[in-house]
This record gives sequence, structure tokens and C-alpha cells, in this order.
Amino acid sequence: MAEDLVLDTAIRDWVLIPLTVVMILIGVLRYFVSKLMRSQQNPDAKVVREGQVVIRARNLRAGANFIPAKSFRARRAYFSNEENGLLHVPKGQGQNPQAQMFSDPNMAMDMMKKNLSMIIPQTLTFAWVNFFFSGFVAAKIPFPLTQRFRSMLQNGIDLSTVDVSYVSSRSWYFLNLFGLRGLFSLILGEENELKYDISNAAMDDTQRMMQMSGFGMDPTKVGLGERVVNKIMSLSIHYLASLSFGCCHHFAALGQSFALHVAAVMLLLSLGRSIGLLFFTTLDMSRALLGTRNGKSGKNLSAEKDGLDIIQHEWALPKFEQRAEAALKKLIS
Amino acid sequence: MVTKTEETQLNRLESQVDNGGGGAWEYLCLVRKLKVRRSVKVLKHGLWILNDSKKRSSLGPEEWTLYEQVAVAAMDCQSLDVAKDCVNVLQKKFPESKRVGRLEAMLLEAKGSWGEAEKAYSSLLEDNPFDQVVHKRRVAMVKAQGNLSGAIDLLNKYLETFMADHDAWRELAEIYISLQMYKQAAFCYEELILSQPAVPLYHLAYADVLYTLGGIENLLTAKKYYSITIDLTGGKNTRALFGICLCTSAIAQLSKGRNKEDKDSPDLQSLASAALEKEYKQRASDKLSALTLAFKTLKVSS
Repeated sequence: MAEDLVLDTAIRDWVLIPLTVVMILIGVLRYFVSKLMRSQQNPDAKVVREGQVVIRARNLRAGANFIPAKSFRARRAYFSNEENGLLHVPKGQGQNPQAQMFSDPNMAMDMMKKNLSMIIPQTLTFAWVNFFFSGFVAAKIPFPLTQRFRSMLQNGIDLSTVDVSYVSSRSWYFLNLFGLRGLFSLILGEENELKYDISNAAMDDTQRMMQMSGFGMDPTKVGLGERVVNKIMSLSIHYLASLSFGCCHHFAALGQSFALHVAAVMLLLSLGRSIGLLFFTTLDMSRALLGTRNGKSGKNLSAEKDGLDIIQHEWALPKFEQRAEAALKKLIS
Repeated sequence: MVTKTEETQLNRLESQVDNGGGGAWEYLCLVRKLKVRRSVKVLKHGLWILNDSKKRSSLGPEEWTLYEQVAVAAMDCQSLDVAKDCVNVLQKKFPESKRVGRLEAMLLEAKGSWGEAEKAYSSLLEDNPFDQVVHKRRVAMVKAQGNLSGAIDLLNKYLETFMADHDAWRELAEIYISLQMYKQAAFCYEELILSQPAVPLYHLAYADVLYTLGGIENLLTAKKYYSITIDLTGGKNTRALFGICLCTSAIAQLSKGRNKEDKDSPDLQSLASAALEKEYKQRASDKLSALTLAFKTLKVSS
């Protein structure tokens, strides 16, 4: 690369910023649309009951020492006897999520709805971006990158001589699409972040489709990967925040450098995402290799059962007579 | 559970609102958040906001929440006309809503037309069998009619599914006690202790039940639960102190003639009675003679 390209400030004003604003607005709009379309489903009786059983068993485990031994033993028998204990899961009946998915057409229907609400606006915005903003070099990131990033950052510009740190407008669109997630969780509140995340919904469903096609994945492990992603995202958001404070100080130098910093943040965001995705796919690969696959609910129950079975009951109350004496002595004196 | 700081905050806000210091909406929000039952005040201040169209519209969408809150408070105060007006406004705004349907059923219940209310509740349950509030309303309704065993049946059925709901366990325990079914009540209190081991009131109630059941083993256990109550409250709970004295005296009576295994129990009992005496001296010195008389009849030393 011989010399730097000089980017027109009009590109910043008419491509970079409008594109970002539009992406944010679309994200917000999509959030509300998907909220409208989300069908209120009645929870399954079995699922509700199982959740409650697990809570109660957990309470029993945590508070076991506060009730007399006889009461504890009676409860343990009620929860974990081999015939009809609440926590006892008969062998082979641990429901596996794939079977659950096929048995419940509502679930597939829901997924379709969510997918549609993702795909249609995405296609439209992509067409719009292609039509209006194709071929711009929109921004430059402030650090050098290797050639491998070219396809990611310079989508739509087929020039091998342009330095990789320049970002094309179409790539900017993609970075926005995948990288605005953290920002949305700030705008729309935390609740959407976990389950009904916008930029993520399509991704989740792709994963579920993968699951359907036999590539076994465990939702809990996906959750773990997601948490890693979220962590990285929030770090990047902090970076963004500190940058915007910095910008207040250097208002004069805002011009191009602001765009560059934003680009850097976006890149970080998308990198974080891919690292997270990588992380939990490897997790699942290892699980698949080990061959441990089980339904989530059944596993929960039997885990609770094991926890109850190994617990040693030691009534804590006799200790409290001495402690009461101590408390009273303190009170009287 | 309402903590002490929350309660003082609520009381401060309440007196401020009562004396015309403003902040009525904040007060109502706090009442809603803490889920306390101050229906008279809620009705008064809520109506004051609702009748002022300027204040009402400044709430924005929260207006409807206020209508709901005032409607429930009005039912509690038997101002059925007010409740009816509120429910009608909500009905007009949300014609299909289940939440309004619930309010209508509650209005029927408040009027005392049990049959219709029951019908309304069961149709609500058909739509959503997991509506915990409706289940609880049904229990309350049966209980209000005086049919305690029916309430027990309903609660048991409810707890079969929602077995982690400790409020329901508590209600069940209290109904069992009122029917003198102490063994069942003891089970419910065990359940409550399990779910919240740090709440002294449950330990105290469990101890009461065990003491009432009687028998040397239960008495010994009851004493232990009175001790944990004392430990958790720092000896501030008078009932637990009396409980220790009663238990010790009852144990002494029962184990008369038998060899004494409990060596350290008189110590705890004398400490408890000393604490009681101190408290009576401080707060109600005129009743001190009654206390010493009670100790004498219990044959416990102080």
C-alpha cells in the first residue's frame, strides 16, 4: 500500500452515519414487531410442575438441617424413591429436545414466525444498502489487519491493492447487523438480550435447525457460549462509552477519527461474537464426542435426585440452644 | 416480606400524603411494589388522582394500572360503585383482556354472588390453567364462604402443581391450625422453614404447633425451635421466651420420675425468664406481678 486514501467527509455524513442510524431504527422496529408477533403460549403442565418440583427439592437440600430428621427422611423418600418419587425419571424417558421439537408443531410455527420477521427485513435492507450505498469506502479502522479480513471488511470492493483496514459500505452494513446487539440491549432493556434478542434470533434459529438435523446441541451449553459472547459485547460497549467521553474532549478532532473509532468498536463486537460462537461449537463437539446427550428436563430432575441422595442430614437445631443461651445472656447483661 | 426500612419509608410517605404534602402517586406505586394492604388510603388517594383529569392524563399508560389498583382497593372497602366504575372503564379500554376478566370476577365475588364468580373464575381457568392468581382467588372465595375443608382441598390441588409457592403453604398451615389439624399444619410449617430458613416467624409457628401437639419428643423439638427463634431475633421475641418457659415446665412434668437426661435445659429456661422479667420491668412494670404469678404456677424458677 503506497499512500493513504483520503475519505470524503460527505461519505461520513451521507453513508456511514445514515447507515448506522437506519440499522438501529430497523433493529428497534423489528424488536417491536417481533414482540407483537410473539404468540402467547400456555406453558406445558409437565414443564411447570417439574420446575416447581426442582425448586422445592432444591429448598429441601439447602434447608435440610433445619427440620427434624424424621421429616427430612419422609420428604426425601417422597422425592426420590424408585417407584413414584417426584424426581425419579424412568430410564429412557428423559425427553430429548429434538423429539420435543417434532412433537410440538407450535414450536416450529413459532420459529417460522421469528425467522420470517428476521429474514424479510434483512433481505429488504440488504437490497436497499446494495442499491444506494454500493461501492463506497466508508471508514478506516485505526490498526492494520491481515489479508484474511479482506472478505469481511471489503465486501463489494474487488480491489486487492486497497489496504485491508478500509471498510466498504456493504461490510459496514454487515458489521452493524451483527454488532449492534450490545447497543440494543442498552436501548431496549436487558430482557430482550437473553432470549428474544434481535440480531441473534436468526442465529439461534439456525442453531436450532442444526440441532434438528442431528447435530446435537444442548441448550445449556449454548447458554454458556452466549454468556461468553455477552461478556465480550459488554466489554466493547465499555470501550464505546469511554471513546464517546474521549470525543467530548477532542471535539475539534472529531471529523474522521470518530468514524474510525466506531468502526473499531464494530469490529471488536463482531470479533467477540465469532470467538464466542467458536467457543461453544467446540464445547458441543467435545460433548458429541463423549456421546452424552440427554433431555434437559430429565437431566435436571435426576441431578436434583442425586443431590438429595448424597446429602447427609445433620439436624442443626440442637446447636441453637447454646446460641440462644448466648443471645439471652447478652440481652440480660 | 416487607423490610423495616421499606415500611418506614412507606409510613413516612403515607403521612406526607395524608397531610397534603403531595407524592400520592409515589405512595401508590410503593404500595403496589410492596404488595401491602392499605385499601382505605389507596382508595382515597387513588380516587383523588383519578377524579382530576389533568393528573390522570399525566400518568400516561400507568393510568390503567391505577384504575386496577383502585378497583381492587374499592372492593376491599366494599365501595362497590367505585369498583364497578373502574372496572367498566378498564373493560371499555381492554375489551378482551383476561386481567380485566379477573377484575370482573372479583367484583362478583365482592358482591357476594358466589355462584357467578365461581363460574367466571372457572372460565378464566379454562383459558389459562396456570393463572396462579385465579387459583388463589378461588381458594379465598371458598374460605370466605366458611367452607374450610373445601378451601383445604383446593389448596392441596393447587400445591400439587405449584408446590414452591410458600404463601399457599402458609395459608394452608393457618387453615389447618384453625381446624386443629396440627400434624398437617406442622408439615406445612416444615415446608415454610425449608423455603425460608431465616424467617424466625415460621420457626416460632412450628414450635407452637409442636408444643400444642404435646408428647415429650415434640416438646423437646419445640423447645429447640423456640431457641432458634430467640437466636434469630436476638431474644426480642416475647412469645418465644414464654415458649421456652412453657416447654421446660411441661417437659419437667412429663419426665417426672424418670431420670433426667437434659442437664442444660434449666439454664436456658432461667435465662429466658430473666429476659422476660427484664423486658416487663422496662415496658410494663404494672404487669410484673402477673408474670411472677405465672412463673409460680409453671413451677419454674427465675
